[in-house]
Amino acid sequence: MLNQDPLKYRELAAKAVQDKQLHKALGKLRDKFGRNAVNLYNQLSPEHDPRQDAKAVRRKIVDNLDVVLETLSTNIQARGGHVHLADTGEDAVKYCLNVARRHEVSRVVKGKSMLSEEIHLNDALEAAGIETVETDLGEYIVQLKGEAPSHIIAPAIHYTREQVGELFAEKLGEPYTDDPPTLTAMARKALREKMLSADMGISGGNTACAETGHVTIVSNEGNIRMATTMPRVHIVLLGIEKIAATLEDHDILLRMLTRAAAGQKISTYVSYVGGPRLPGEPDGPEEFHLVLVDNGRSRILADPDFREVLHCVRCGGCLNVCPVYMAIGGHSYGSPYCGPIGAVFTPLTQGINTCHHLCQGETLCGACKQVCPVDNDLPRMLSLLRSKLADGDKRWDVRPQSLPTKLAFGAWSVVMRHRGLYDAMSLLAEFCQRFLPRKNGWIRRLPGPLGGWTRGRDFPPLAKKSFARRWARRDTTRRDA
Amino acid sequence: MSRIIERVRQALGVQAKDGRDTLVFAKSDDFVHCADAKATERDGWMESIRMEAKALNLQVHECPDLDACGEAIASLARECDPEWGTVKQIMRWSDPILDGLGLEGRLGTEIAVKSVPSADSFSQFEREEFRREVIASYIGITTADYLLADTASLVLLGGRGRARSVSLVPSIHIAVVPRSRMLASYRQMLSLLSAMDLPSNVSIITGPSKTADIEATLVHGAHGPREMHLFVVAC
Repeated sequence: MLNQDPLKYRELAAKAVQDKQLHKALGKLRDKFGRNAVNLYNQLSPEHDPRQDAKAVRRKIVDNLDVVLETLSTNIQARGGHVHLADTGEDAVKYCLNVARRHEVSRVVKGKSMLSEEIHLNDALEAAGIETVETDLGEYIVQLKGEAPSHIIAPAIHYTREQVGELFAEKLGEPYTDDPPTLTAMARKALREKMLSADMGISGGNTACAETGHVTIVSNEGNIRMATTMPRVHIVLLGIEKIAATLEDHDILLRMLTRAAAGQKISTYVSYVGGPRLPGEPDGPEEFHLVLVDNGRSRILADPDFREVLHCVRCGGCLNVCPVYMAIGGHSYGSPYCGPIGAVFTPLTQGINTCHHLCQGETLCGACKQVCPVDNDLPRMLSLLRSKLADGDKRWDVRPQSLPTKLAFGAWSVVMRHRGLYDAMSLLAEFCQRFLPRKNGWIRRLPGPLGGWTRGRDFPPLAKKSFARRWARRDTTRRDA
Repeated sequence: MSRIIERVRQALGVQAKDGRDTLVFAKSDDFVHCADAKATERDGWMESIRMEAKALNLQVHECPDLDACGEAIASLARECDPEWGTVKQIMRWSDPILDGLGLEGRLGTEIAVKSVPSADSFSQFEREEFRREVIASYIGITTADYLLADTASLVLLGGRGRARSVSLVPSIHIAVVPRSRMLASYRQMLSLLSAMDLPSNVSIITGPSKTADIEATLVHGAHGPREMHLFVVAC
């Protein structure tokens, strides 16, 4: 149903940059959340950068992931919960289907989980004849549309209110309105019924506490509490890297997460869920499953150059400030994780050659690093992915992407290192450029393979008198005077 | 299962049981002792709660005692209308503080006030019965174990007589909290939780439910309660 493909990047992005509706919708996100996050960090701790504290905690956990994972599993089991460590996405999906079959589940309600998108869980549940309902308002909207989420925490942010109004009128049979409160009330009514009658709830987790044996789930809508309280069975899907060791770790991690994600001091609901209900509790799930998913993460862990990307807390903050995301939207990335974080994480899990567009499409402007609550150096990792694409890499099975490009840049490098050669080449280029078509003084089309550059934009011509020549002939008398 | 842990160890280049756990689970002195801080500035806390609550659309009421609080809640219940259906019914936790409100007597036959059954275990039938009752309630009343001054958050520990759905399924959530249960911060609360045996469910609630999923516009009343009242009782 949701056919996502990173290879369609160019095609989708080309379409998205023309989409005025999309830019209108994304502009609101940028203005409301993007600019806010850094101000909030500064308020939290003006004397030093709290991002460094959060980073230190994440690094401690990721560097000792085996210890934290083992402790978490032991403690969840001690609370009567089931723990499954899944090698791959298929493995995790199979486990969920087995639990659903054993309980004869006919309806699943879901809390937002990017991991479930990563492993294509909804398709598998639907194929098994189980009705699967997304309950987060944004997820519900994209599910009604038959689309994938376009943002890590705001899945339907690419829609304007008018588009949501039309969708609800069509799918829910409600009268058309573009008023967000009325639209929200419509979804509240439609989904309450589903949530109260579902047999199983599946949620993601924002983190977990190994020491106490709890999964930590954050939400504003209350849908996740519903999905994890009312059905008989609760399954949590969690990437192996997303856990925390202690409640003290939670202090800084949660505060940074909610600020980075939505400019909030704290979300409406923070739930610590560990195991099924106890005998003296009249409600809560009778069975609790934690599925910890590897799906390529341990491979990233093994490479010290990329291990840092596992520090990510999935706040979506880097999307809100990314000029590329703002221009092309989340769908162009062809993967559940879009924006700068997706441009690093997706190639590492789905193949660097296959997903080369993602890391090559970003601008390396550095905004994502500045806003990241754990100070992830995404630009560094993007550059590194590009260098692997240029040179090839055994460890990551990367084929060199293009021999001509490599040769061209090799030649460029030689020219740049030899003054005489450089001067000769500039003279040659200056002579040749007069044969190229121009528009308003700019070069309209470059020849041969360079034409790719001018397909979407014009190129500035070389100056009549180069800077080097002007510098050599500059008037030095004034300085002496 | 151990295969993945083994793979993680290989990836990290580390050995099992090499003493790293002491480092990983170490707590700072500052964290362990932050809950000991004496509550000298409680008045400032109330001010902070009121300020945070405003932005959250959380309505704060201060009452001198449980009697006044019970009266205020009774009149609130009379004024409000049910969102689903027409019957007015209240579900509350079984808790001595809430017993002290005397709501059953105040509302008499106008509005049914039910409390969460308190027992060591429940039959399937009893659970279903309770579930029906909580779904049929338009108001859910709980207390809270802590009230956090820096964010106006309520901390609800699960357990006997304290069903999770009472603060979730009814359209209006009312929480009655003694002033003495105020804490300065989230960090203090975590420090206290860290020193106790935790139940299987802890809910930290900050205002009524909300969403910003349509054009990043804030709307109160998503899937949880759309209205929330906090009654802080002086004694």
